[in-house]
Amino acid sequence: MDPITFSIIRHRLYRVVEEAVITLKHVSGSAITNEGHDLMVSLYKADGTLLLGGVGFLHHLTSAAEACKSIIRRFEGDVNEGDLFLLNDPFTAALHTSDIYLVSPIHYNNELIAWSACFVHVYDIGAMNPGGFAPEAQDVFSEGFSSPGLKLVDRGNLRQDIWDTLLNMVRGPEMVALDLRSMIACNNVAKDRMISLVEKYGLPTFQETCTTLVEQSETRLRARLRELPDGSWQSRQYFDVKGEVYKVLLTMTKKDDELTFDFTGSSPQSKYSVNCTKWASLGGLFAPLFPLLCYDITWNEGVIRPIKVIAPEGSIVNCTKPSPVSVATVGAIQSVNNAACTTIAKMLASHEDYDEQTSAVWHANHFAVFMFGKNQKGGDAIGILTETFAGSGGARTFADGVDIGGEIPNPISRMANVETVEAMFPVRYLFRRRLQDSGGGGEYRGGTGGEIALVAHDAPDGGLHYVLSGKGSKFPQSEGLGGGNPGAINDYVWVHSEAGHDSHNCFSQSLSSIPGEKEAISWGVFPLMGDDALYVRWNGGGGIGDPLDRDPAQVLDDVSNQTISPEAALAMYGVVIENNLVNTPETERVRKGLRENRIMQKEGI
Amino acid sequence: MQRQSRTLVVSEGSTSCMACGFVLGPVGKPWKSQARLSVTKVQEIPGSTSSTYADVVIRHFSCPGCAALLDSETALPEDPFLDDIFLTK
Repeated sequence: MDPITFSIIRHRLYRVVEEAVITLKHVSGSAITNEGHDLMVSLYKADGTLLLGGVGFLHHLTSAAEACKSIIRRFEGDVNEGDLFLLNDPFTAALHTSDIYLVSPIHYNNELIAWSACFVHVYDIGAMNPGGFAPEAQDVFSEGFSSPGLKLVDRGNLRQDIWDTLLNMVRGPEMVALDLRSMIACNNVAKDRMISLVEKYGLPTFQETCTTLVEQSETRLRARLRELPDGSWQSRQYFDVKGEVYKVLLTMTKKDDELTFDFTGSSPQSKYSVNCTKWASLGGLFAPLFPLLCYDITWNEGVIRPIKVIAPEGSIVNCTKPSPVSVATVGAIQSVNNAACTTIAKMLASHEDYDEQTSAVWHANHFAVFMFGKNQKGGDAIGILTETFAGSGGARTFADGVDIGGEIPNPISRMANVETVEAMFPVRYLFRRRLQDSGGGGEYRGGTGGEIALVAHDAPDGGLHYVLSGKGSKFPQSEGLGGGNPGAINDYVWVHSEAGHDSHNCFSQSLSSIPGEKEAISWGVFPLMGDDALYVRWNGGGGIGDPLDRDPAQVLDDVSNQTISPEAALAMYGVVIENNLVNTPETERVRKGLRENRIMQKEGI
Repeated sequence: MQRQSRTLVVSEGSTSCMACGFVLGPVGKPWKSQARLSVTKVQEIPGSTSSTYADVVIRHFSCPGCAALLDSETALPEDPFLDDIFLTK
């Protein structure tokens, strides 16, 4: 077809998604959506195959495709113009119950021509713990409302009985209603713009463009894979929940123009809610694949076709019903994501032409802190600390990772302003800043993570409580590359106030200076009451290359701006700093000694 | 020579150090057992916390010829080396 028309329609499809995302953000009232950008919008062909992966959490692109296909199967013969379907069952297609998919058929002249889909993490889903993450859940049945597919809007009419039933099962129904209405509005905008597009260019041209777009993506990805060498690359991730250690082991094999991701050797499914369903694992591995390997290829079904996945049933990457999965998105999915990021990066690094596309693992581990209680106005408040989306950049082969630089699976993730959180919850921040020594060491270091401390403030109930799904405080997960170190780990500390301490007069600027007994916590429901404090730190990105090859002037700069400590400068980078200057002869001597120590080590057996 | 990774090349059927050419074994086979291994507890790395799992380590694999750092991996002691197998066309 005419390449110019093809290109115009392709870009118009991107704009359709972009405008739908703006609608979603502007209508939703929750910080997790409009500030944290925990959302996704994408477009699908009439048969449910992914046509255009949009922006937001990329974990959802393949799952929402399955949601479309599942709705098509379930409602065969009953999909009408103006319908809107809801699906959030993790064992059907979703990642966890609180990420609700609303999928909408798009008709033109009574013919089904496409689907739009979106998700947000709704304010609450009626799980046993507020906010959707349910660390105390024993099975999926205690993780809230779950539907394998229902018709929420029938030929343009909201089904009030369904609507009322759903809102009757959740905390903060007015906020959940706003989330759902934001998704309805989002799909309406996507549908309207798609129909305008078809009206302008005609249905045959539109459909030919869609077919070509998918074929083009498949052709281009297969060509890229043929350029890269054959081989297999491994990655391993550890994480723990309440002392139990879990492992995600990935062997990625590339042969000719196909990639196989094999998770054989990963841990059995957990009794805790960190498990992935197979849809969650699929989303987890595609989230880094799209941006790392397909940075100049349209993200659609064509990218999926050359990929095979082996995820043993009953394992933590393909659990069986009724295993609990509500923490999956900050649990095993992230480990799948990180492992895939590492193996893809290793493969790219094996070819000179792709060296600059290589990256160490970015922000590897979300922390999920859902606060709930009475706010300073006496109303109910539930919400996540969006610093979990602030992230940290993994090192590149030509530059350091970006400090607090986001994350790979969500290119538009960000955190809310401190003032937004303080306005919504009865809390006060003592500090929020970059975390020293958190970026993984390397010739190019990982970007830093961050740290925060909160106290209750102006709380009618004396404070509030929070649900903590805080795996990730035991093992580094932001793996380095080519010798680089992983980024530092998360940590969660409950500071029990001392007798006589008044948090209103507390302006501590570090964890160590907050008075009181410090208790490491990670999993469950905890109070932030009275004069206690909550401290959270999040991981930095992985480094690339040998830390002893890092330019000493850059190490000095890092020390000067407190990105790394003088101790790290010496121990990790072998740089001697005296009077704010690099002592070059001493640095050379120290580095020579560190290298000699390496050779003195035994062989790797 | 063909590049194998950021630190390794394939030369005359062998996996070799990119910096000095030290041969680490035949291509297509695991090479880490031929490298020098240094193990550092994650707890001892700047930036770690008291919550860090006591047994978790970073394995650093270096070239026996020139001490270039070739690769690193996070591991528990009982777990084997991660193997990256490169196949020439």
